[in-house]
Amino acid sequence: MRRWVFPAVLVLALLGLGYLLRPKGHAFYGTRLLNPKPVDFTLEGPSGPVRLSEMPGKAVLLFFGFTRCPDVCPTTLLALKRAYERLTPEERARVQVVFVSVDPERDTPEDADRYAKAFNEAFIGLSGNLEAVREAAQTFGVFYQKSQYRGPQDYLVDHTATTFVVQDGKLVLLYSPDKVEATDKVVADLRALL
Amino acid sequence: MRKLGWFLLGLLGVALAQDALVGVKVAGGWVRFPARPDMTAAFLALENQSEKPFRLVGVKSEVAERVEVHETFQEMRDGKMVMGMRPVASLEVPPGGRLELRPGGYHLMLIGLKRPLQVGEKVKLVLVFQGGLRLPVDLPVEMR
Repeated sequence: MRRWVFPAVLVLALLGLGYLLRPKGHAFYGTRLLNPKPVDFTLEGPSGPVRLSEMPGKAVLLFFGFTRCPDVCPTTLLALKRAYERLTPEERARVQVVFVSVDPERDTPEDADRYAKAFNEAFIGLSGNLEAVREAAQTFGVFYQKSQYRGPQDYLVDHTATTFVVQDGKLVLLYSPDKVEATDKVVADLRALL
Repeated sequence: MRKLGWFLLGLLGVALAQDALVGVKVAGGWVRFPARPDMTAAFLALENQSEKPFRLVGVKSEVAERVEVHETFQEMRDGKMVMGMRPVASLEVPPGGRLELRPGGYHLMLIGLKRPLQVGEKVKLVLVFQGGLRLPVDLPVEMR
């Protein structure tokens, strides 16, 4: 009988060790930046300038697009709406979805904000002068360019469609347009960040 | 009751006959709720049940000034991944095949909406195929 005791204790000890050494914390689904990059911008909202760093304590989900974009932008904003609406009210209070127009010549701050709020009343939309928008896009490595130009009111904008997550003034997480649609995983990531 | 049965059977027969006559049908679709009041996209699937190809060459809608077939693409520019859309002149539905217009791929652009669209209402579109076939379809407005 006694000779079973040692192996049994050994097995239990190994199991215990395995448990203690298990990977800790949350395995992020989005692309985590190992060296979170400091980021900031000031753009125009419908009621005045909005500064990214003036949303302290919030995880900011940032997407660049244009309001005359009926496929890529709504697909991502609908994905962000699904994720946001899955959070509890307390969690939502610490998350801000921000849409930035890369078509500032046509999208006023009011247009951008109205567009964002069509998805959820708590979302905000920003635009600004050409220079400010270009700088903000550059900060995040966002490329944008007019295409299918038929006139000053009739063109499309090709643009980077990544969703950026900014926390405490730093870019911490990225989602490609494909990844951002996996609502469960995005929600789990946000909960791990908050 | 039996009369009703015959009537329904008759309707089914007419529907089947029309499908056979047309050879191409719409297997589901929706109009995306417009996040800005003047434009939106529509998505649908087409099934070709015949032995000849069908080519979609145009779309009309009573709610839009014009409808264009667009394709979403993804490519690297300046070392950055960029997404964009470009118009497509026509789309082929191969014999016995299926063509899906879905987010991130082909879609219909409804440009110049003439009135606000409500989630839940049906929007009438007419698909125009090479050879002159016009296929009417009612698609629901959905938040997706």
